[in-house]
Amino acid sequence: MILRRAGMYLVLTAIALVFVGPFLILLSAGLKPADQAVYSFPPDVIPRPPVLDWIVEAWTSIPYPTYLLNSVIYVGVMVPAYVIVSALCAYPLAQMRFRGRNLVFFAILSTMFLPGELMLIPRFLVVTQLGMADSFAGVILPGLLSAFGVFLLRQTFASVPRDVVDAARTDGCHELRIFWHVMLPAARPTLAILGIFGFISVWNSFIWPLVVLKDSGKYPLALGISYLAGITGTDIRTLAAGTIMSIIPVVIVFMLMQRHILDGMRGAVKG
Amino acid sequence: MRLPGQRWYTPYLFAAPALVLFGVFFAWPAVTAIQLSFLKYDMISPPPVFVGGDNFVRMLGDDRFWTALLNSFLFLVGLFPLLVVAPLLLAVLVNQKLPGIRTFRMLYYLPVVTSMVAVGIAWEYVFHQQGVLNWMLTGAGLLDRPIQYLLDPDWALPAVILVEGWKNMGFYMMIYLAGLQTIPESIYEAARVDGAGPWRRLRSITVPLLVPYIAVAFTVEMLDAMQAFTSIYVMTRGGPQDTTLTLGYYIWSAAFERYDMGYASAMGLVLWVLMIGLAILNYRITRGRTVMA
Repeated sequence: MILRRAGMYLVLTAIALVFVGPFLILLSAGLKPADQAVYSFPPDVIPRPPVLDWIVEAWTSIPYPTYLLNSVIYVGVMVPAYVIVSALCAYPLAQMRFRGRNLVFFAILSTMFLPGELMLIPRFLVVTQLGMADSFAGVILPGLLSAFGVFLLRQTFASVPRDVVDAARTDGCHELRIFWHVMLPAARPTLAILGIFGFISVWNSFIWPLVVLKDSGKYPLALGISYLAGITGTDIRTLAAGTIMSIIPVVIVFMLMQRHILDGMRGAVKG
Repeated sequence: MRLPGQRWYTPYLFAAPALVLFGVFFAWPAVTAIQLSFLKYDMISPPPVFVGGDNFVRMLGDDRFWTALLNSFLFLVGLFPLLVVAPLLLAVLVNQKLPGIRTFRMLYYLPVVTSMVAVGIAWEYVFHQQGVLNWMLTGAGLLDRPIQYLLDPDWALPAVILVEGWKNMGFYMMIYLAGLQTIPESIYEAARVDGAGPWRRLRSITVPLLVPYIAVAFTVEMLDAMQAFTSIYVMTRGGPQDTTLTLGYYIWSAAFERYDMGYASAMGLVLWVLMIGLAILNYRITRGRTVMA
């Protein structure tokens, strides 16, 4: 029995190494001193001694702090905004009767079935016509409508008992007050799920900023890293250090919030 | 009775921000995409010229389009074992009640939360001629000499598929895990009493009961595979010799490297029709299976 269990942990650990290994290799390359080879047979992964030179190099050879700040701005604006837009739209869909309700719902749902590559081109033209090409607004606004968010919140709001809502209404509560004081608190776990998924997706966003931005001063971090990788002559240690730094924030947020992820998947698949 | 605070337009006011975004960034561009596919438009020398179905006819004679279509299909097929089959086994593995199992789940999910840019770069180190993969494969006697996976026409596509699969496997594992947690433990206990081993339990209980989740995984896998882009952009740019040129990458490159907006949009429409067709096909197949099971 103990042997079986030990064997199980061995299997689990071996698989974990497959998933974490490439990041460890990157980390090792980013910390190795200049006189230690990055590649060798057999691999020599322990930096002797670990140095911070490449982190400094990555930080200064591209405008790293600017990219980092941009990513923080994109996340800070987009995540709350998309959650609020989703919630505002989900509330009437879940708790009010009105003409065109199904139409609204299916219109939003249909956005899930538009391939990103198809939409890239006309959306770029639309954003250009609106004068938002190469601007923060051009990056942010098209990303604020999420069928997933509306869908998940509609389900959550629908589970708030009708009586509670009706009682609040007959008490003379304004719909906005009901939304704010009854609906949102009831949906806290769902809001957390949307928050973390939103953070991950905005932090890692790449294609749309690549298309809409010309000025590298507005790049989010992922795009900045790709830019660093594209500069000929970028040292492989510098690239590794810069890349590892770019994933640390999202990994921390993920570790703190990971218990919500399975709940989120459950809600999404069941619906 | 009119409720206080609720006028006829109240629901529309709540939905207004979402509806405006829908109109401006989805409906308008979708209509524009259809228009564009009948135009020749390079963004530099206006106005756009109406060319009828020329863009679609051009596709028929464009070898690179067919290469891209084939590569996208190979992506779809290659990702199937990695994203539909393997994550099911992983989910069974991490659904056990063992101390510390949550940590393993989290580690398997790690690539999902990191950007494809970071993942692509990390794998370039793994794939390097002197990298760890070549060391392992030559050491095990599976390769005579190290390979430059991303520069070798025979290896580049499998290598990119491997990275896409590796990155997203944890996501699909979570889909299956959500499904596994709906299966009551008592069914397994009954099977165990009847002498069913682990393999038998997997085949006769887990897989049949997970069919709806397999259907979801398969659908998502197809849509993901057809849209693969960032991995290719970061690692191979469609090369070497177009061996990793997928439909998604070809569309992007036609639009934003050659500013051939009309042709790119026409290919985008074809991609869209293909995706919807695949989704419907998948729905039919898996639904049939559910009924039979």
